[in-house]
Amino acid sequence: MINAYKGIVVLALALLLAALLQAEGLRKQAEIQPAGFQRDVALRVTKPLVTFSRALHLTTPRHELQVAIGRENEDRIDTQVHLNLPPPATAPPATTKPKPHRPPAKPVKPLFTSAHPLRVWVAGDSLAQVPGDALERIGGAVDVVGVESRLSTGLARTDLYNWFTRIQQAPRRLHPDVVVFSFGADDAHDYMGGAHVGPFGSPSWNAEYRRRVDGVTRELNAEGIYVVWLGLPIPDGPGFKKSFPVVNRILESVARKRSDDATFVDTWHLLDDFHGRYTAYLRVHGKLTQIRLPDGVHYTQAGGDLIAAQVVAQLRDRYRLGT
Amino acid sequence: MLFPTVTFAVFFLIVLPVSWSLMRHQSAWRLFILAASFVFYAWWDWRFVFLLAASIVVNQALAVSIYRAEANTARKTLLGAAVAFDLGLLAYFKYTNFFLTSVDNVVGTSWIANVTLPVGVSFFTFMAISYVVDTYRGELVPTTLMRFAVFQAFFPHLVAGPIVRAGELLPQLESPRDPRRVDTGRAFFLIVTGLFLKVVIANHLATHVVDDVFAAPNRHSSLEVLVAVYGYAVQIFADFCGYTNIAIGVALLLGFEFPQNFASPYTAVSLQDFWRRWHMTLSRFLRDYLYIPLGGNRKGRIFTYRNLLLTMLLGGLWHGAAWTFVVWGGIHGLGLAVERATGWRPHTRAQLWLGRILTFHVVCFAWIFFRADSFSRAGDVIVRLFDAWGQSSPLVTTSVVLAIAAGIVSQYIRPSAVTSLVASFQRLPIVAQSACVAVALVLINTLGPTGVAPFIYFRF
Repeated sequence: MINAYKGIVVLALALLLAALLQAEGLRKQAEIQPAGFQRDVALRVTKPLVTFSRALHLTTPRHELQVAIGRENEDRIDTQVHLNLPPPATAPPATTKPKPHRPPAKPVKPLFTSAHPLRVWVAGDSLAQVPGDALERIGGAVDVVGVESRLSTGLARTDLYNWFTRIQQAPRRLHPDVVVFSFGADDAHDYMGGAHVGPFGSPSWNAEYRRRVDGVTRELNAEGIYVVWLGLPIPDGPGFKKSFPVVNRILESVARKRSDDATFVDTWHLLDDFHGRYTAYLRVHGKLTQIRLPDGVHYTQAGGDLIAAQVVAQLRDRYRLGT
Repeated sequence: MLFPTVTFAVFFLIVLPVSWSLMRHQSAWRLFILAASFVFYAWWDWRFVFLLAASIVVNQALAVSIYRAEANTARKTLLGAAVAFDLGLLAYFKYTNFFLTSVDNVVGTSWIANVTLPVGVSFFTFMAISYVVDTYRGELVPTTLMRFAVFQAFFPHLVAGPIVRAGELLPQLESPRDPRRVDTGRAFFLIVTGLFLKVVIANHLATHVVDDVFAAPNRHSSLEVLVAVYGYAVQIFADFCGYTNIAIGVALLLGFEFPQNFASPYTAVSLQDFWRRWHMTLSRFLRDYLYIPLGGNRKGRIFTYRNLLLTMLLGGLWHGAAWTFVVWGGIHGLGLAVERATGWRPHTRAQLWLGRILTFHVVCFAWIFFRADSFSRAGDVIVRLFDAWGQSSPLVTTSVVLAIAAGIVSQYIRPSAVTSLVASFQRLPIVAQSACVAVALVLINTLGPTGVAPFIYFRF
């Protein structure tokens, strides 16, 4: 056969065989794509592929390899929203006369030092990484026990990555005093894994998202863990400008409701310019400094340093952070 | 569009057979491959296709004008206009804010512009410069607009090289490629090794040690920092060599031969040797279009050192709009000048090994400035290399050490061993060849970390 045509045949056969051998992985990749034509086509193609591949046990070698390297759950799609605490009961109407108002005693702030540091776990989508690294650099009384950032994930698409499962597991291993979450940048989907809701921003979507944010906060609070929700920063470009405020409103309202055990860091206004507009540069310590990456969403390390400083400032409302 | 994705696999599975079926009808083929290249480029941001098209039209018009002009002054003026246009594009898209912030640090202007960097602008601009300069030098007769467009926008090299010279690719665009002379064995070997280097080695090192350490060096032990520095040396090699291997392999399947871009750079016995092996197409571009026009080594010792230093400083700045890249280039420029001044030429076996070890460590030291996002971070890395020995090093895992070792040891594999492996693959029946490629793809996909990290050189 003529070489070029042989190349085409080898390539086509190799891709077909590779597709059969990793049909489960392709199926997951199809599932986790944003809704639309491309996802529909991918799902239609991968469904028979998985059936055929499973029937011939062609998925076994990849699975065995995954087991051998400890990544056996990688192709699994887990959409369940793991929230164990029941929804909070609404307060009964007051039947007794309210007691005369007395100012509550000021609680003593727990002290943390570099010898006995505050353990902080940072987790979330790609926006979590840089502030997490910046918190790690602060050091001293703040000990970052882990920075876990997973691209394009969030609390909406459990099929993509199930953060609820992870949030159940990680604190048991890492024992954090504080969890810093950065979620929402990739949550503007018209559907959610594990729930039937209306399009993004609709009342049912907002209610389900609020339930998830609130649920995570309460579960961690029940374990004695303080929760910091990083808001989404002011973005460049019109698309995110519509979606980010929707998420920010929910994060902020949940943090306000649970203000004893949670706080919201308003990165939108921390990183906007004098006129409240997007800027990639801010004057930091007298020097014009790039704080945002050219994509108009992610932070530079200097931007991360600003956010980390704000997180620590808000943590000082609750903790004494010594040296 | 990224090479190691299902999207690119589907794209290429369509482009490859259509390309060969149209090959005999060259006009239709050129139209098709140009359209495919624009689709490939538009996958990031369709607006920049217009920038690419403008670069093609302007450079072609000026190259033709240079060729037709008879007076030397007119030719020089036209060349100046072409180079100014190309460097102007680079300056605007890549260096505007670097310039403005540098000015602000001195005089406090607060002028800032929001400029988005188009992917691959440095690469396709350099290719355009080589085309007009070679035309000016009389080494090239300008081709048709369509052929030049295919030359500049050809998707395998479009976003991260190799920087193919007009004299290498344009002759291949003059006539249909011969389908009998396609080295498919080498093409598949390059694609598979390229994917392995990028997806398994580079991504593993980035996610398991390099990113963590360079983000907060003071939180890590000296051993972790040392391993991260070695790790980054291997990561950037695996990332960039991986990309160009895939690009060369893809071009080969389409019937086109690209120049080699890497030749075991970490076996180099001197910095001069290193630059003959690392990003070879950039090295020769800088040599032919910058170092030699500056006078090269023809104007005495002092000017030679100056030219070496200037070439490497500008080469550093080409990599990124930051002073850390300039320092990276400066270290290499100084090193090259010192080598020339001392006449360092290793001969004996011991000298060769000493040269390899020294060169590798100078290169690693320079990479610290290349990777760190500021001088203070680079300083932290360097200080930390010395002051935290004996601390626990959880990031130094077996897989990290293995990945670094694989990245370095693989450079000592003899080319003859690769040739015989490719020949053995070529002798296999088609089904067996397909099975080998399929198994390799599945292994790479399973062993690599999840998600596709962009190639480092995309932002240059």
